[in-house]
Amino acid sequence: MKEQGDGIVEDIWRFFSSMKLGLALLGLIALVAGVGTVFPQVNLEPEKAKTVAQIWQTLGFTQIYSTSWFRLLLGLLCINLIVCSLQRFQGIYHRTFVLRPPESVSTVPNKVKAKMVGDGEPLQKSVLDVLQRSGFKVTTKLSDKGWSFIAIKRRLGNWGSLISHISFVVLVIGAILGVTMGFKGFFMTGAGTTIPIESINVSKGTVKQDFSVHIYSAEDRFLPNGERDNWYTDMGIIENGKEMIRETISVNHPLTYKGVTFYQSSFANGVSLTVDIKDQKIPVVLQDHGGNYFQAPGTDLYLIVAAIKSDPQKPIIFYQVYKGKGVEPVQTGQLNAGQTIDVQGEYKLTLEGNAGFTGLQVKQDPGVMVVWLGCALLLLGLLLSFYWRTIVVLGVFQSGPGADGELTIGAMAGKVAGGVQQEFDRLIRDIQAK
Amino acid sequence: MEQGLQNLETLSFYVMLMAYTLCMIFYWVWIGTKKELMGLFATYLTIAALVANTSAILLRMIIAGRPPLSNSYEFLLTFVWGITVVYLFIEYRYKLRSLGAFIMPISVMILMFIIMSMGAEERIAQAIPPALKSQWLTFHVVTATLAYGAFAISFGLGIMYLLKLSKESTGKKSNPQGIISHFPALDIIDELSYKVIGFAFPLLTLCIITGAIWANYAWGTYWSWDPKETWSLITWIIYAAYLHARLMYGWKGKRAAWMTVFGFAAVLFTFFGVNYFLPGLHSYASSQSSMFV
Repeated sequence: MKEQGDGIVEDIWRFFSSMKLGLALLGLIALVAGVGTVFPQVNLEPEKAKTVAQIWQTLGFTQIYSTSWFRLLLGLLCINLIVCSLQRFQGIYHRTFVLRPPESVSTVPNKVKAKMVGDGEPLQKSVLDVLQRSGFKVTTKLSDKGWSFIAIKRRLGNWGSLISHISFVVLVIGAILGVTMGFKGFFMTGAGTTIPIESINVSKGTVKQDFSVHIYSAEDRFLPNGERDNWYTDMGIIENGKEMIRETISVNHPLTYKGVTFYQSSFANGVSLTVDIKDQKIPVVLQDHGGNYFQAPGTDLYLIVAAIKSDPQKPIIFYQVYKGKGVEPVQTGQLNAGQTIDVQGEYKLTLEGNAGFTGLQVKQDPGVMVVWLGCALLLLGLLLSFYWRTIVVLGVFQSGPGADGELTIGAMAGKVAGGVQQEFDRLIRDIQAK
Repeated sequence: MEQGLQNLETLSFYVMLMAYTLCMIFYWVWIGTKKELMGLFATYLTIAALVANTSAILLRMIIAGRPPLSNSYEFLLTFVWGITVVYLFIEYRYKLRSLGAFIMPISVMILMFIIMSMGAEERIAQAIPPALKSQWLTFHVVTATLAYGAFAISFGLGIMYLLKLSKESTGKKSNPQGIISHFPALDIIDELSYKVIGFAFPLLTLCIITGAIWANYAWGTYWSWDPKETWSLITWIIYAAYLHARLMYGWKGKRAAWMTVFGFAAVLFTFFGVNYFLPGLHSYASSQSSMFV
């Protein structure tokens, strides 16, 4: 029974340690990913995605990258990479740190090979001298018939492949951490407002923090040549009634506080107004094109700003007032900066000036640093694999009847001989020159 | 002043176009006639084209006041520059002039695409949205330029390999005056193609990573499965499969040559196909600039 169990484990291990499986999974992932670019995806084009035939929507083709079967493919690839890496670790370790000089000529690699004849002792000295000067770490062994050696250079290169494969697993762990432990949200608000972080619109995850965000100002700045410079938001974080940090953010320059990052995402024009109702003055900020509304307390009047002529000195608005559920406005008109009007005899409205509306993407992603670590490992692995390739040179000297003998020397080249051959030829030339 | 610079940039573009077209013709003449003088003309014209290409890029940089990497026209200009730089290095380092007959047509076709599909108003320097004002974009596009340039070279080598192989496999004795006789031995072409991909693959990886870092700064999302990202990943997977198949299973020769062709087809689709058929977050990369940030 135990043997049968061992057999199954061994079969599973063999299945997952196959590089063919890895290549097949990579091909499948590429294929599915390609199909996902043909179908509109819910996360990128939600409206278009709804127009796709129901059958494709049901099969998950409009949110292909978050379907369980796509995640299963990624999971299987991760398992394959882990098993392959574990299986190869020992071999790489031995090829790097436990190098043994060859016992006989037959163990010297054939693909990149040379022979030379000479006196044993001076030849050994030349070989060691040339190899050590070229940066090789040499291990030698003496025997009755002569001597042998093995030399390694750029030994870290051996680890490149393993590091780059493991990096993929690190990347996936980072992505999982981000999805399971973070959140993603958005809010748009005008200058002068304070928003509790837990009240923002969240599209993924849950907000656990309890601080507030105060927007001091939001600006759409232009360069002297008329081009847009950037959108700027002067914002502060308020926690337990105390301002913890105040900073101006812009597109490409986010702010991070306690793991929550605020990204400048969009901008809209708005105005600041004062509502005078029953001797109480209420500051109000309203967005252009009716982006938000104000309902005066104790009334069923809804005020929106339909259009703004955003002159920096003298803004002018076109306002509309709606009553209850009525679809036609009960009052409309134009209002200049500093001007006060009466709204349905209920309150007075004064236009104070411009006020920008800022759209901020808010994200907490505890996995992002793990993702960057994965990226760094991937790059390190590839650099080691392609730009820091390990070279192993080994040889056996067999004494002849006199002092002379024959040195058979070769280099391990794997499946790629070209680069190794050049370096090997140079070493042989240097040894012969000595 | 600016008008003068714009005129100079336009002039550089047309000088570059002429030089690229002429060098392509001279490479063809050289490969057909074996006259050394023709080959020298081809090489010098390629250098002249590179100089004109560089000056067009630098002038655009001065006019726009930013790295010239923000729309299709600017990227294609640097893509051609990347192809030429990598090609000239290969020609100098490996004395492989015959490759020029396969590489220069790629550059000329890209420039023809600019002329035929982009109006003058799309080629002038335009304002860019705030999201594109990032140093990460510069790293992202520069690495893409060099990686794509090198993949174009591997594609040219793959075509050379397949042509030579088909000629040799017919069993006919190679004509010493024939075009194929200028090609290096099959295993040298194969090995060089591998080396070029080995150079380009880490650069493509860096390109994807710098793109992810930039996206994270700009949008708070390092990966959103936007069509451009996805196709660059597919391209990456194709070349990763090439490297695995070669290193682990000894895939060489014909199969490897076909993979370089498929890989470059994916590179072209990542740029042209995605920009023109599958717009997403990279919609600003198409010639019509958008205000998406």
